[in-house]
Amino acid sequence: MSAWAEASRDPAARERRLLALGQAMVRTSRAEETEVLLADGREFLTRFANNTIHQNVGAEEASAVIRLVVDRRVGVATADSLEADALEAARESALAVAEAAEPDPDWPGLPKARPVKPVKAYHRATALATPRTRADFAAAVIAAARERDGEAAGIVQTEEGTLAVVTSRGVAVAASRTRAEANAMVTCGDGSGWAEAVAVRLSDLDADRLGRRAALTAEKSRDPRPLEPGAWDVVLEPPAVAEWLQYLALVAFSGKDVEEGRSPLAGRLGHQVTGDQVTLWDNARDRRTLPQPFDCEGQPARRLSLIREGVAEGVATNHYRARRLGRRVSTGHALPASSPQECMPMHLFMKGGRATANQLVGEMERGLLVTRLHYTNVLDPMETVLTGMTRNGTFLVEHGKIVRAVRNLRYTENVLAALGRIDGLSRRLTRVPGPCLVPTVRVRGVQFSGATEF
Amino acid sequence: MDDLLERAVGLIEQAGASYGDVRLRRDRTERLAVQNGRPEHIARSASAGVGVRVLVDGAWGFFGTHRLQAAAVEEAVRQAVAIARASAAARTEPVRLSPLEPATDTYETPHRRDPLAVALEEKLDLLVRATRAMRGPDLRLAQAFFSAFDTRQQFASTEGSRLEQHIVQTGGGIAATCIADGRLQVRSYPNSFRGNFATGGYEFVEAMDLVGEAPRVAQEAQALLAAPPCPAGRRTLILDGGQLALQVHESCGHPIELDRVLGMEIAFAGDSFLTLDKLDTFQYGSEHVHIVADATCPGGLGTFGYDDEGVPAQKTPIVEAGRLVGYLSSRETAPAIGRTSSGTMRASGWNRLPLIRMTNVNLLPGQAGSLDDLVADTDDGLLMMTNRSWSIDNKRLNFQFGTEMCREIKNGRLGRMYRDATYTGITPDFWAACDAVCGPEAWRLWGTPNCGKGQPGQTARVGHGVAPARFRNVRVGVKA
Repeated sequence: MSAWAEASRDPAARERRLLALGQAMVRTSRAEETEVLLADGREFLTRFANNTIHQNVGAEEASAVIRLVVDRRVGVATADSLEADALEAARESALAVAEAAEPDPDWPGLPKARPVKPVKAYHRATALATPRTRADFAAAVIAAARERDGEAAGIVQTEEGTLAVVTSRGVAVAASRTRAEANAMVTCGDGSGWAEAVAVRLSDLDADRLGRRAALTAEKSRDPRPLEPGAWDVVLEPPAVAEWLQYLALVAFSGKDVEEGRSPLAGRLGHQVTGDQVTLWDNARDRRTLPQPFDCEGQPARRLSLIREGVAEGVATNHYRARRLGRRVSTGHALPASSPQECMPMHLFMKGGRATANQLVGEMERGLLVTRLHYTNVLDPMETVLTGMTRNGTFLVEHGKIVRAVRNLRYTENVLAALGRIDGLSRRLTRVPGPCLVPTVRVRGVQFSGATEF
Repeated sequence: MDDLLERAVGLIEQAGASYGDVRLRRDRTERLAVQNGRPEHIARSASAGVGVRVLVDGAWGFFGTHRLQAAAVEEAVRQAVAIARASAAARTEPVRLSPLEPATDTYETPHRRDPLAVALEEKLDLLVRATRAMRGPDLRLAQAFFSAFDTRQQFASTEGSRLEQHIVQTGGGIAATCIADGRLQVRSYPNSFRGNFATGGYEFVEAMDLVGEAPRVAQEAQALLAAPPCPAGRRTLILDGGQLALQVHESCGHPIELDRVLGMEIAFAGDSFLTLDKLDTFQYGSEHVHIVADATCPGGLGTFGYDDEGVPAQKTPIVEAGRLVGYLSSRETAPAIGRTSSGTMRASGWNRLPLIRMTNVNLLPGQAGSLDDLVADTDDGLLMMTNRSWSIDNKRLNFQFGTEMCREIKNGRLGRMYRDATYTGITPDFWAACDAVCGPEAWRLWGTPNCGKGQPGQTARVGHGVAPARFRNVRVGVKA
């Protein structure tokens, strides 16, 4: 490893470097207000399929998002570099944009600095994971699949990064993090199974366990039979629950969409929007998720209640949307200023219940067990109607027992309404890439509108 | 050719790689969004870096760096080689590449007005005027969009190819969102999700007449609020160009990607029902269905000179009179069908590995005349226009689409408007039910700027040329 590469892997040094860079840019800015968001990191991803590694990549990436304000005119420019000439070009570009923009009479100014408490989100061994470490991980997943005569596909990914925000309102924060993610899809003939995991530490991911779990489901899901679509009681495993919640966040929990009237929660905060068994919140500080201490405006992350016992309580905001919604400070969910979406909850939690996942299936008279969903998309945002497919293991359950695999089905469902029909939740929450922490849930009468041929 | 590339190629050869290529790529983009008469979002970005791809001991390694210094590129080569050696340890069969004649060449997108050189004020003025031309009692959001992408790339391979390309892509559009009584309806022009896109300059957006179309778009969004929902049943269905382009994209473009067919994408986006045994034998659609993958058609969003393996742009037959005859392929995958690469490998940036991507997957024009002619030839049916939602299973069989607007067809005439229209089907059954495709006068190119694939994720800009087409006995009106 070169001296540069070695030095770049000291997260504290990287934080100091980004802060110094940001402070220099703010100090020399010609704009009235300046915000600089800097990121620097490395990402490695090993991809396998057909029981062999077929793609294996790495990249060192850096980015700068510069927001300048001149006479209430806002300009944003980005550069995928931290070199002086690239940063200067981005700053000039942002200034040109600001000068071409119209004044925004509602511009509240950049947010002032607020205290940010650090979180533990960096693991040195994960940052230093080698190509060989990832290849060995992939080989272990493949070996587990082979034990059941299966074929494995999936990824193992490690990344490290540092984020810093410096502004002319005194914000100067930096933090480093690592992230490891792996998944396995195993096919056994016409059956398939899935397992996935994400953590701050690669050592918290168990390749053999992922491979075995996916292979077990693959073996069980052989010879899937056609099933008539219609309304079915369903036990959704955590990846499926997380997919619903992430799409719900997309259409419902942005303060921007609420203010513009295109969120289903517009005008409904404080009202019952789903069943009282549903409690959702976001908390980027929770050590069970992939923690981050601040958002892209350098504002402290904090717990945000979204739905409590079925009642809509809050939506995510950045500083601009918070002020337009009559709040003094944001919820700490700003996306980079270059993002038109502005704000979004990214660390979702759903409150669990009292059951075990096995009990949820065991108590079902007739219904389906769904491993995960595929290609979900929004049909009607105001009604939270989503459609998508089941994937990698869909099973018919009768009298509390799995009786056979069935072919994949298409659901078309109002998700807020469906969550209101949950009649059982597991006590245990599972961390799913996103990240989300969610229980296994049982939902009555999910609408399946079609079926496919496998 | 930049010295960095020559240096990197030399290092790859010294490291004992059987093959390697290096891309030095510089991207500039601009995205403008105007809402209700004032600029809401203006962002420019710039990105530059080097991507190194090597084949060592029969396995791939790739590393990208944003640092454009000799030492950083040398480090990138070392990293790529180390990654390839690790891949080789868990590889069963060595990668073999289809042959390629090295080339030295340059290519530039033909364009008249550099979209990034046009003054911001001029572009914003157009968008502001378009949003101000939208009116309606329940019009909540009048939006106009502009996007431009400028990519300059140098490519060098250990086989001797030296290529330089400059790709210019431009797009724009308008959208009216009406909201009343908890109901939301959107109408867009010329296409949904920020408009239509092409290779070319600012002249592409100027020709759209966004200001002239704006009043109609707003009126239709308003009218949709009061329209009844699309009734459920089985109907004859005509799809307009914008919706049909996405139908081609999802149900033909993705399943003909040979990496999907070979299982290389199975854990993420999925594989394909168009398995190798179906090549040259499978009846994908009716005799009216002719599809090509054409990276050479002027103005197509997926038009270029060379792909990111240095393979020349090509026009490849995919479906002839309904029969599957080809795939989108790469140098690694083409030998699986006994052919050479069809030149479709593209990366979204310097930091990503090239993957098989759609070029312009085009449904060729038929003989059904204009859209008006096709409607006049239809006794009873529905016309669905402009995509609103899409979803398809992981083998690309069961699909479901929603459209912004639907019109009833009775006795050859357009009738009432329906909202919240959907249709669903199984891919080969749907294309087998195609009994008419409009002619060359109705054929046009549509750009899909947001095609996702791969891990780490990549977004590609691809194109689809289509003319409106008619399908019989389609299930419509799927509801929650």
